[in-house]
Amino acid sequence: MMAEYLAALAAVLVAPFIGGVLMGIDRIVSARLQSRQGPPLFQPFYDILKLFAKRRMAANTFQMISVSVYLASMVLSLALLFMGQDLLVLLFILALGNIMLILGGFSVKSPYSQLGSQREVIVLLAYEPLLVCMVVGTYIMTGSFSAASIFGLERPLALSMPAFVITQALVMAMKLHKSPFDVSASHHAHQELVRGIYTEFSGPQMAVIELAHLYELVLLLGFIALFWHTNLGIGIALALACYGAVIVLDNISARMTTRWMFGFTWSFGLALAAANLAALYATGPLPR
Amino acid sequence: MGLLEPLLKISPLTLAAVLVFSPALFGVVVFAVRTKWSRKGVVTVAGWVLTLAAITVFAIAFVSRTALSATLPAQAAPWSMIVAGGDLALLAAILVIAVRFRSAMVLVVALVQLAVVLYAELTGGHAADAAPAVFIDWLSVVMVMIVSVIGSIIVVYGLPYMKEHERHLGIDEAGSHRPGFFLTMLVFLGAMNGLVIFDDLRFVFFFWEVTTLCSFLLIRHDATELANTNALRALWMNTLGGVGFAAAIALFGAHAHTYSVQALLHSPMGAAASLPILAALACLMFAAFTKSAQMPFHSWLLGAMVAPTPVSALLHSSTMVKAGVYLLMRFAPAFHGTQLSNVLAIAGGFTFVATAFLAIGQTNAKKILAYSTISNLGLIIACTGLNRPLALAAAVMLLIFHAISKGLLFMACGVVEHGIHSRDIEDMQGLVNRMPLTTLIMVIGILSMLLPPFGVLIAKLAAIEASVHLPLAMGMLVIGSTLTVAFWTKWTGRLLTSEPGAVHPKIEHLHVMYFVPLVLLTVGAVAFSLAVFPLLTELVEPAVTQYYALVPGAAGGVDLSSDVLAVPWMLVFGFMATAVVVPVLVARTRPDEEVGAYMCGEQIETPNGSGFITAAEQSCALSIRGHYFERYVGEETHGLWMTVVAALLMAAMLGAVALR
Repeated sequence: MMAEYLAALAAVLVAPFIGGVLMGIDRIVSARLQSRQGPPLFQPFYDILKLFAKRRMAANTFQMISVSVYLASMVLSLALLFMGQDLLVLLFILALGNIMLILGGFSVKSPYSQLGSQREVIVLLAYEPLLVCMVVGTYIMTGSFSAASIFGLERPLALSMPAFVITQALVMAMKLHKSPFDVSASHHAHQELVRGIYTEFSGPQMAVIELAHLYELVLLLGFIALFWHTNLGIGIALALACYGAVIVLDNISARMTTRWMFGFTWSFGLALAAANLAALYATGPLPR
Repeated sequence: MGLLEPLLKISPLTLAAVLVFSPALFGVVVFAVRTKWSRKGVVTVAGWVLTLAAITVFAIAFVSRTALSATLPAQAAPWSMIVAGGDLALLAAILVIAVRFRSAMVLVVALVQLAVVLYAELTGGHAADAAPAVFIDWLSVVMVMIVSVIGSIIVVYGLPYMKEHERHLGIDEAGSHRPGFFLTMLVFLGAMNGLVIFDDLRFVFFFWEVTTLCSFLLIRHDATELANTNALRALWMNTLGGVGFAAAIALFGAHAHTYSVQALLHSPMGAAASLPILAALACLMFAAFTKSAQMPFHSWLLGAMVAPTPVSALLHSSTMVKAGVYLLMRFAPAFHGTQLSNVLAIAGGFTFVATAFLAIGQTNAKKILAYSTISNLGLIIACTGLNRPLALAAAVMLLIFHAISKGLLFMACGVVEHGIHSRDIEDMQGLVNRMPLTTLIMVIGILSMLLPPFGVLIAKLAAIEASVHLPLAMGMLVIGSTLTVAFWTKWTGRLLTSEPGAVHPKIEHLHVMYFVPLVLLTVGAVAFSLAVFPLLTELVEPAVTQYYALVPGAAGGVDLSSDVLAVPWMLVFGFMATAVVVPVLVARTRPDEEVGAYMCGEQIETPNGSGFITAAEQSCALSIRGHYFERYVGEETHGLWMTVVAALLMAAMLGAVALR
């Protein structure tokens, strides 16, 4: 029990640094792909520090609550993952954070953040079933929803649940607002949506959101690393490969519409998930 | 413990009499003595009496740790005659209504029911002459608490609401319809209690039909054309369900030779049951689907929203629709391990998904709540069909948490409706500035329906965990849970949308009889979620254990251990509470820090709040609306095929009887 809490604490303390470096790499790689030099590797940290130092401005107090719960849910999700806790609960705590951020976007009467929030609801609808199906897949394999139980398996999950590696990469692209799924908020403010759901967050609030994003990134990569639990080195390599693929996808595709994204994930994504789940039900060791 | 000993001496029959008949007596007083103060006083006292009786029942069950049962003295009265007479009187009333309102549908269905009831009386009357009994196990205790406590809170809330309601309609005290209204509401509560504590199916059926009649009277309370139409629809659908119930009674009488639910549950059931018994169970399922407004019978509950809000709150949270799911949960051991049970899970799951989907396209707050109710009842039914200890535990928890949250939401909606004269959630935009207190209560109510660490979500996760063995049902639960998030989030978003720089919100004044019920249920929603584990071990587990004692091979206690319930929920609660409280305490915005929305440098101030300059260099006030995706999720587009699928699933239940 104690060891689990310590692992969770360590993860919570270390995760932002790993997340920040990975995001720094993302920015350099993306810049090079666009024939730019790109920022320093540690730019994400500089950004967050600078934002924390800015004067506090907000449209209402609820925005503060929304970003605070958003960060809390990301931190708690990561902690639960490292404690080997129930993945299904983890997903809904993750969703709690997203819903609070959406409500924060809704709380300002701004067309940009309102539109971003409306679309983020659809984004949430698009990826949530994929995540839950993934967790159900692990249940069929292990007979439990707990993350810890995965370590009792002999074979890596990636071999029995290959489709879910792909869906997890898709979910990562959607949750990180990468093209072609950056419908609710784009990384760049030079288009009709401005910064979408983030438009009305500034200064310290934005810093909290960025910090939460670092946790989110590590959490998403952690999910994928679990797919090769027998050798976490391979697992981490798999996760980083997915991250690389998402970065490349981001740079070679344009933003698509919300409708397209929803249709794509609920047809292609869910079909992949359902096919893999069907195979698991047919062959997997589901305890009776 | 010692303090509670005297409680054990109270006869279950006395308690049953108080729970079932005292509301009706108080109702008669309210009806007879027509003054404002007597009404207020008597209704409040009735609420207290019911609440105290329910708490007594709970305390006795808690101390004695067994089901309370007692048999009515057999010679005291010709019980069979009384209950048969009651059934026929109710049918006569329904026939009178059919003629009075010229409803062919009600007439036909009521005549069919009359035929079935007479058939049941003539063929099965000799089956069991044993005196009817009162049987109160943990499931009944849970139901009695929900009906009596939440029901009383709603009736008390109805006092100021109906006063305001009649003032809007221009009805003065002399012509007031309130005496009849509160009589019906109280009789309704008594009938619900009767339904859950009597063991004899014929008695259960009588109270079942009383709720049908009461709901008709309450839905048509305003006597508008729409109210009449919708009330008649509710009446024929529920009377049709009554046909199923009466058929089940006839089948049980003829083939099981008993009407006692407990005797039925202790006879060979499940896969060992004979075909007619399984058919009887399918008939009960049909009855439960009508009462719980499951697809394809969901339209009556949607139509019921024409009734005054206390009626909606009562129908949706603690009475009526809960009767259907209660009946299924009561009989769950009887269809354990059958195909019928699996089809039930799929049918419930389908309603759960379909209505959550349709709710996304709605802007009418009461309609969203109605769809959400139907959806959650579908989930409870799916749990019953899954028929595993964890699923039943989830069902009992949903029963409790849904009753609290939905009662709260309807009552809050009623307050808002009287405040802004609209039930459209678009009109509720920025309600946080106009009615901050009610908005806070409403937001807590909404969040308690969908977010961790509130009880509804914990129960939902337990349901998903229990559904893994039935992939189709699991898929439905997963997708339905996701869709649920969409409509609640959009609604909350509307409530919280505030105009930056607007006047600072002033807390509104609420009538004390609005304030107290709302606060009671808000505190209840939070406290019960905090106390989810004591609730589980003290209330839900005993209920499920009693249930599972009836299933062969599972008598040695039940194992409710689940990963969902093993999560350190108190840690989650503490963490999230801190995340909410800290910014409120240390980071509350000062007025000088509040800024307007960003509008690409084109914003201006207009008389109607902030605005912007259009491309044509004209000033334009800013207006924001939510997306409802009517083209994709509209009732017109999907209502028909969904109803057809649901009807096919009902037919599949009959097919499943043949398959065992």
